[in-house]
Amino acid sequence: MSIFERFTEGWKKYRKPGYYREFDYHWAMTIDLDKCTGCEACVTACKAENNLPIVGEEEFAKGREVQWIRIERYWEGEYPNVKLGFIPMLCQHCDAAPCETVCPVSATYHNQDGLNTQIYNRCIGTRSCAVYCPFEVRYFNFNDHHWDSPLDQQLNPDVTVREKGVMEKCTFCIQRIRQAKDDAKDDGRRRVRDGEVQPACVQSCPSNALVFGDRKDPDSQVAKSMKDPRAYRVLEELNTDPSVVYLKKVDAKG
Amino acid sequence: MNVSIVPALKVLRPAAVVGAVAFFGLFVGYWANALLVPGTSPEQPIAFSHKVHAGDNDIPCMYCHTQARRSISAGVPSVSKCMGCHIEVATEKPQIRKLTSYWDNKEPIPWIKVHDLPDFVHFTHKRHISAGIECQTCHGPVETMERITVTSRAIDGSFQLGTPWEMGLCLNCHKQNEVDNGTDCWTCHK
Repeated sequence: MSIFERFTEGWKKYRKPGYYREFDYHWAMTIDLDKCTGCEACVTACKAENNLPIVGEEEFAKGREVQWIRIERYWEGEYPNVKLGFIPMLCQHCDAAPCETVCPVSATYHNQDGLNTQIYNRCIGTRSCAVYCPFEVRYFNFNDHHWDSPLDQQLNPDVTVREKGVMEKCTFCIQRIRQAKDDAKDDGRRRVRDGEVQPACVQSCPSNALVFGDRKDPDSQVAKSMKDPRAYRVLEELNTDPSVVYLKKVDAKG
Repeated sequence: MNVSIVPALKVLRPAAVVGAVAFFGLFVGYWANALLVPGTSPEQPIAFSHKVHAGDNDIPCMYCHTQARRSISAGVPSVSKCMGCHIEVATEKPQIRKLTSYWDNKEPIPWIKVHDLPDFVHFTHKRHISAGIECQTCHGPVETMERITVTSRAIDGSFQLGTPWEMGLCLNCHKQNEVDNGTDCWTCHK
């Protein structure tokens, strides 16, 4: 098979509308804003699991922090009738992701599990994906980060420590998905069971506001949760088809 | 009119000095590299021969590398594994005496890792062994080696001693055996 034929075959497979219905899995997440208390346990868990650096005060002021999941605050109303709202924001793993089409070296792509993934080795750091991302969830490593001893002992060996000049983003804890698939193969099962794999943020959520699972399985908890009448997706008008679904917060005023 | 080459040479003198230093530095660098960076076949603290163990005496790989079929890494056997046999076998040989001294001092043997993958690569021994891949497919004819040498495999299947592994080795095999999602980047990268 020539390179051209392989290219057109790959293009047919992944660049047609509805291509994601052929995924092996379609990982998705729902976030119940009614249950979310904004405690930022997910943020801490993500930092620990995925070797995210603590950039320090100076770099933070320059907007160079790295948080794959963050709690965004916003204020509603005029003083004194102000109300604080917040929303956990992570990579939405869009099926029609704007960041993928713009990468000049195809370092970000959609894999067979419906994940929007980033290959650090291939990334050349043009940062165009961060510009195209409407959710602002891609983070660039402006510096080489180091962990003083004994903090380097807590680095996760299943995740690379990203170097300077590389873009990074939420992976839905792909190392855990890989481990779950591995265990499923050992047991002789073809597929991962529902609830067997949880990203760090979902695992750490004290109020179970975050639910993760395979959207293609109609019996999974996440598929049921997505049918909730409160379900909506952030910036839906951009038609990026995100895999993260939010359940609206309903208060007394409605 | 008298034309002299001497002023031109005077101008070129600094460049010539820089060139000579660079030429000399090339040799120094090569020598330092060979001396300091472990090669493809480093000298181990004990001259352990895979030829004697796995070749002549036909001990299976996984008798010593027990973790290979159970975990990500194949693992290096503990000193007690060696002493299991060598408390009786060939105790008078100088290399075994060295081994016994490690055992008596309760110290691990500082083996030098030969086959090493970069930190951004995810490779499980367990998965490959349960799929029925021979150890020799990647590690080369270990049972004939006195001292372990990095061995790679060309597309035609021939072993190339001293050549480190590259991504093509993994991809070729994944393509030939039609592994599920075998060419997806995140299958091997992390």
